Amino acid sequence: MTLATDNEREVKRRLILRDVFNFLGLTLITAVLFAITFFLFRSFAAHREELAQRWSARGREALSSGHPDQAIVALRTALSYAPGERPYELLLAQALGDAGLTEESYNYFLGLWETQPGDGFINLRLARLAATKKDMQAAINYYRGAIYGTWEGDGAVRRREVRLELARYLIAHHSLSSARTELLVAGGNAPDDMGLALTLAPLLEEAGAPADALNNYRKTLAREPNNQTALEAAGRLEYGFGNFEEAYKLLKRAELVHTEAGSNSTDLPPQAITMLENSARILALEPRKSLPANERFTRILNARDIAKKRFENCNAQLAAAGGTLSPLQILAARWTGEETTVSRSGLSNDPAMQDAVMKLVYDTELQTSQVCGLPAGDDALLLLLAKSPKAMEK
Amino acid sequence: MEKETVIAETPTTTAEVAAEERIARIAPEREERIFLLLSIFIGVISGLLVVSFRMAIEWLSVLLLGSAPNPHQPRLIFVPALAGLVIAVLIRFVFPNARGSGINQTKAALYIHNGYISFRTVIGKFLLSALAIGSGHSLGPEDPSLQIGAGVASLISRRFGMSKEKLRIFAPIGAAAGLAAAFNAPISAILFVIEEVIGQWSAAVLGSIVLSAVSSVVVARSFWGAEPMFRIPAVTLRDSRELLAYAVLGIVGGFASLLFAKSLGYLRPMLRRQPAWSQMLQPAAAGLLVGAIGFFGFTQVMGSGYEAIDQAMHSQFAWRMLLVLALLKIVATTLSFSSGTPGGMFAPTLFIGAMLGAAVGSFEKIYFPHLTGSIGSYALVGMGVLFAAFLRAPLTSVFMVLEVSGNYSIVLPVILANTIAYLISRGLEPVPILEQFTHQDGLYLPSMEELREESNLHLEDAIQPVTVPVLQGCETITRAAATLASYQDGKSAPVVLIHCEDGLWYSARKDELETLLSAAKAQTSTARSDDAADQPEPTLEQRLGDERTPVLFPDLPLSSALPHFQRWPLLPITNRAIRGSLEGVVSLQDVLNRYQQKGQSH
Repeated sequence: MTLATDNEREVKRRLILRDVFNFLGLTLITAVLFAITFFLFRSFAAHREELAQRWSARGREALSSGHPDQAIVALRTALSYAPGERPYELLLAQALGDAGLTEESYNYFLGLWETQPGDGFINLRLARLAATKKDMQAAINYYRGAIYGTWEGDGAVRRREVRLELARYLIAHHSLSSARTELLVAGGNAPDDMGLALTLAPLLEEAGAPADALNNYRKTLAREPNNQTALEAAGRLEYGFGNFEEAYKLLKRAELVHTEAGSNSTDLPPQAITMLENSARILALEPRKSLPANERFTRILNARDIAKKRFENCNAQLAAAGGTLSPLQILAARWTGEETTVSRSGLSNDPAMQDAVMKLVYDTELQTSQVCGLPAGDDALLLLLAKSPKAMEK
Repeated sequence: MEKETVIAETPTTTAEVAAEERIARIAPEREERIFLLLSIFIGVISGLLVVSFRMAIEWLSVLLLGSAPNPHQPRLIFVPALAGLVIAVLIRFVFPNARGSGINQTKAALYIHNGYISFRTVIGKFLLSALAIGSGHSLGPEDPSLQIGAGVASLISRRFGMSKEKLRIFAPIGAAAGLAAAFNAPISAILFVIEEVIGQWSAAVLGSIVLSAVSSVVVARSFWGAEPMFRIPAVTLRDSRELLAYAVLGIVGGFASLLFAKSLGYLRPMLRRQPAWSQMLQPAAAGLLVGAIGFFGFTQVMGSGYEAIDQAMHSQFAWRMLLVLALLKIVATTLSFSSGTPGGMFAPTLFIGAMLGAAVGSFEKIYFPHLTGSIGSYALVGMGVLFAAFLRAPLTSVFMVLEVSGNYSIVLPVILANTIAYLISRGLEPVPILEQFTHQDGLYLPSMEELREESNLHLEDAIQPVTVPVLQGCETITRAAATLASYQDGKSAPVVLIHCEDGLWYSARKDELETLLSAAKAQTSTARSDDAADQPEPTLEQRLGDERTPVLFPDLPLSSALPHFQRWPLLPITNRAIRGSLEGVVSLQDVLNRYQQKGQSH
């Protein structure tokens, strides 16, 4: 637009100048305001940080001294000054759980989990809280999340600990096969860790996997032959499997280790002593095929005598009780057979007869134990042999 | 009191108007050039002031209530009361315009005072709101921030000598900047200002509002970070049947907002009717009662309550506690706000909504665990529900939830719950709360709800079929006269439409046409006497000259026809697709009749 007069041109020039100065002034004011806000904010932020640290320290202290209620208040205050501060949030979530506020703690951890679903610690906490809430599936999922999650520091060890915790949880909830799997995976991940083998073995026993437990004890004994715990436990397991010879060896060695240690306080537990004595007696009674023929025949005949006495006593007991139809009728019929009269020479000529006699002995012990109650003495040991799965093969 | 002092702020003088006109004449494009640039400066400065405002609130809170305000601390009772007393004295003698939330004051600046907000009001709002919220009064910082932003805009635009029209526009620009920085959500702030302050979408200011809001948020985020005021939980819609639960939330929210609005609608005017001396004591009494609520175990309701919102979102309260907190917040905010203590209702509304949402979510999680997703989702939707129902800003409420959650899967529950709550609230309380406040203050600002829903009339609403004779512009005068005569009432028709060869129309009055015909006849007889019969007779169009009736289409606003009736008796309405194709006509009477019909229907 063309200016009509010089006056208007002058006014326009002044207007432009005024706008320029105004903008310069505005820029200057903005800069000053920014600087003031910046310095105030820095001081403000520092003060908030200090308050956050002070309250979080109080929260930590309260938590460690067993006052989760106070810790909750302190940590909430700390978080109001440092919102989103991860360590404080974790502590608060923990404090909520410790204070018995399971639902709140669970939800808090859940909120943290949503931002870091791969965090091992959070998953573990959630798993424990889910377990408290009796939400088994969620607990298992979070345990698995913790196992496969990230951990600060020694991740491998933490993962293994979580896996063992999961296994214990599964055992407690009678999910034994899953527990066994977890334990075997834990063992497989650290094949050379003897300490772990000794930890896994009892858990495997609880998980109904005594053979796997025995393997772990054996693994320990291979490295530490005089490991007292492993000797006792392996002996007990071998005894349970009917491997009385192995059981005897292990328990005897355990006894020796105790003796060498020279302290009464470390004596074998009574159960182990009984097993040791029983194993020794069984080894003296058992007509193993590895024995010299004469010795084997002597033991077969001795066992038959013991069993016969047991049968007769049981029969008499039943008759005294006034039973009209004896449950041992079939067995009684067998006790009239050739096995009951065969002599040493008869046994030496007929290996099948040897087995037949022992079969009669074992059947007698098994059936009389069901009818007349558990036997004592050598009968009890023969019964143990009878129950052994490989009784007839030895 | 507010009305009187507000009116006193009106600054325009005759000299200023004259100067404005002179500048507009000398440099007509100046304002447009500096408009956008100023919007950025307004955004930046508003952002800085809002950051300082929030800092001031937190400093004062720590200073007055201690770093960890907990129940049974005596200071919880006497600090808000004393602060209330100080605030009342300062409002009475120093900052009379600092009362209230700031939204209505900004609207008043826009509609009554040509965008004028005094610097003293800005200072007063900053200091007194910070003192009120920092001392534990149940109010929020967003609405004062909105007014602080508008005040900054007013101050800067005045300094640049902007025209009255532009001064008015700058108020909502600053308001958007202030709100965006306070809530750290630019989209919601922009929508809120459009919905609640301007009332209508206006392309003229939208660009500047966006610029200022974004600038202020950038500044605020450079200090506070990008996170919203509370941690947003994962939002999930687990099952479509869950929408039933959100519908329940909508119903609960609708009735809660009604209770809140009725409480404020009853208590505020009642307290304002009390003698002046008692009004001086009202903020103190409100502080005492709010402090007592905190003292007896519910400190969460004190102040803006963002921490409690965060805790509710993360399932830190049982549903009964959540309901108690919502109820107490309604009581505390009603007391604080009605007493005239400066501070906003944005945060308390969100607080009540979050508590109700979390309560509904927790309740359903207990009794219908298979239906319910995260409690945080319900708290988030609850905030939107109260926002829609109480502040009557349905669009902002939806986008606010979407913006803060950053999750679009929540849109369906939000829309459903908000609509139900909005309809309940509107059905049972037709006058929105902000409008009630303006009426209580003796002001009659335009109703934003009505403005938003106003259906603008268009020409198609008044269009009438063509009953007047239509002549072709290419016809000769003689032929045109014959054609006109062929119409049944051709002679008596007051207006005739002439369709010109260029597709445009000419609307001629009867007397104008008669003059034209008689002039043509006279010319023809003169030509015969001059033996000029061989010359072609001029057409009607040639006689009309170059002037044509304006081109109007059916979709144009009805008001667009009004300026033309001074010249034209009848306006042809043509089709946009086919040039010159006549859709109908409108006369001044048709337009007025249509406006009257609309007026009667309202």
